[in-house]
Amino acid sequence: MIEKLQSLWPEITLLTAACVVMITGQSASAAVRRLSWSICAAALIAAGLLAYSTTAASGHALPHMAMYGKIVTCVVGLLLLLMVAGIADRAYEAEVARGKTVFDAIRATRGEFYAFFMFSLTGLMLCFGADDLVWLFLALELVSLPTYIMVATSTSKNASMEAGVKYFFLGALGAATFLYGFALIYGATGATNLVQIHSAFAAQIAAGGLNTIGIVGLILAVVGVSFKIAAVPMHFYTPDVYQGASASVSAFLAFVPKSAGFATIILLLSTVGWLPSSDYPSGALPMPVHAVLWVMAVVTMTVGNVLALLQTSVKRTLAYSSIAHSGYMLVGVIAGPGKGDDFASSGIAAVLFYLLVYGVTNVGTFAVVAAMQRQNRDGTHSEADRIEDLRGMCATNPMMGWTMVICSASLLGLPPLLGFFGKLPLFSAGISGGHIGLVVILGLNSAIAAFYYLRLAAYPLLESPDMAARTSNPITQVPVTGRWLAGVLSVVGVIALAIWPVTSAAKFGATYKTKVAVPGGQVAQGK
Amino acid sequence: MTTVFAAAELNAYLPVLLLVAMAVTFAIANLAASALIGPSRQGAIKSGTYESGMNPIGTARKRFNVRFYLIAMVFLVFDIEIIFLYPWAVTFPSLDQALADGGVWLGRIGFFLLTSIVAYVYGYRKGVFRFD
Repeated sequence: MIEKLQSLWPEITLLTAACVVMITGQSASAAVRRLSWSICAAALIAAGLLAYSTTAASGHALPHMAMYGKIVTCVVGLLLLLMVAGIADRAYEAEVARGKTVFDAIRATRGEFYAFFMFSLTGLMLCFGADDLVWLFLALELVSLPTYIMVATSTSKNASMEAGVKYFFLGALGAATFLYGFALIYGATGATNLVQIHSAFAAQIAAGGLNTIGIVGLILAVVGVSFKIAAVPMHFYTPDVYQGASASVSAFLAFVPKSAGFATIILLLSTVGWLPSSDYPSGALPMPVHAVLWVMAVVTMTVGNVLALLQTSVKRTLAYSSIAHSGYMLVGVIAGPGKGDDFASSGIAAVLFYLLVYGVTNVGTFAVVAAMQRQNRDGTHSEADRIEDLRGMCATNPMMGWTMVICSASLLGLPPLLGFFGKLPLFSAGISGGHIGLVVILGLNSAIAAFYYLRLAAYPLLESPDMAARTSNPITQVPVTGRWLAGVLSVVGVIALAIWPVTSAAKFGATYKTKVAVPGGQVAQGK
Repeated sequence: MTTVFAAAELNAYLPVLLLVAMAVTFAIANLAASALIGPSRQGAIKSGTYESGMNPIGTARKRFNVRFYLIAMVFLVFDIEIIFLYPWAVTFPSLDQALADGGVWLGRIGFFLLTSIVAYVYGYRKGVFRFD
């Protein structure tokens, strides 16, 4: 019991920081209020260091995933923290600083915003380390509940409120679906512990076949969690919510709930394992689960990519691209851990690595939208969200323009960049698993995706700036350091991580054991 | 298909059933008795809305101060706290002495109490308790 507590030090660090910033964000002193950001940054760094000493969960099918996931959470979390700087209270704090109004804690939202940010990351870490259905459910909700409020409060526009409400209600539907799935899994196995569920399923397979209730439970759970990863059939909210929320919060949504969802799907499917069959000698999921995931993967990536072609808003394009990337990653989930001991054949390692790749790259594209603002006719500013606004950005603002070019090329998967090294293992794992049809569709989809990613790259790079529009609605950089810094660091990551061999970390994180030890040796059998 | 509930299991609920029956009978008997043997005189004041002895004035659909909402939220924290404290307090004495992890259990509930104290400090800082 005390060992379990010790593996939670990173989460406890983040939780403590969340509680502290909730208080400092209300302080009467502006210096203390500004400290909130630094407290979050310090806690994320400390949690990342503590996560290195996470001990492997013995008996677990994926003993090292927790450590990998927690470190990735901290790394991408720091990038996201840079991006969300200046969202909460920027206009209000400016008024207070000019002496127009006296600071009133009830009008400030800085403390809540950073606290929810940290709570959500805590939930993500807990998801990676989950070993029980109840824990998994609570962790998933801890990821999601703060994000609803972050979406609604991220701007003062009504669109954010609308996005928050949509996100909340559809999120409740998703949660109800996967909770029902969890309940059926419990009904089929009589256990909530993932290791015990694994043994119960193994006993059922040995006795002639999986329990139907268990299969239905797994399918419902996966479909419900598809809300978190923005996959078909629960992808409808994605473009509206990403567009309504501030670009920084959209980047947060594209990484944190998605990673939590994939951690959950991998943990759940590890209980039935990827079993070898005559069709798929290196292992496949039970037929009904396999079929559902196959359809989900194909439809998700096709819907995401085709609809992204039609968008004129950068954020909506990136939202559909986020849907498509979930489809790509589902290919890795279907391929499973593979038979060999190498990185190239393990689909789980590919997914875990792709989460890091997508997280780092995606921050860059959203950072460009967050860092640039367009002046409206009435003097107010709005985000430079139209693809038109990117026109000639490499000439007018080289730093942000090139960030957009490099990051969208990486999302496309152009060879020297990180995105290529992320996508390659998904292909190789699919091929070595024998899922040739799926890999062909993945390749076709990457070709469709080239169209809109190249448009995102060509507008800043090849087009010349539209001077008439620039004089009437000038596009300027938002005076918040964190936003452009996040974009630049993302570009550094896209280039550096492609050279630095971090794939071995993902391989370590995806260490998969087909035989798991049941604690206490007792398995509750249920029918 | 085996029986879901053995009859013997339900026997344990017999006292509860008796208590429910007694409560219902008591209520019905009292109402019936006062209707049968009590005097019945009606009047304008007697059939008016009962407002704890005060004269009812105006509509009941008034707007409340939003502070009541904040107070209710703060009260919820207390509520949640007691929900978790009570089972903890009941379980704590029956911990295995030999395992000696009482400190861990105490630490956990201490951490939990700390989080609710944070909620109070947060409420205080937000000005929930400021009535002006």
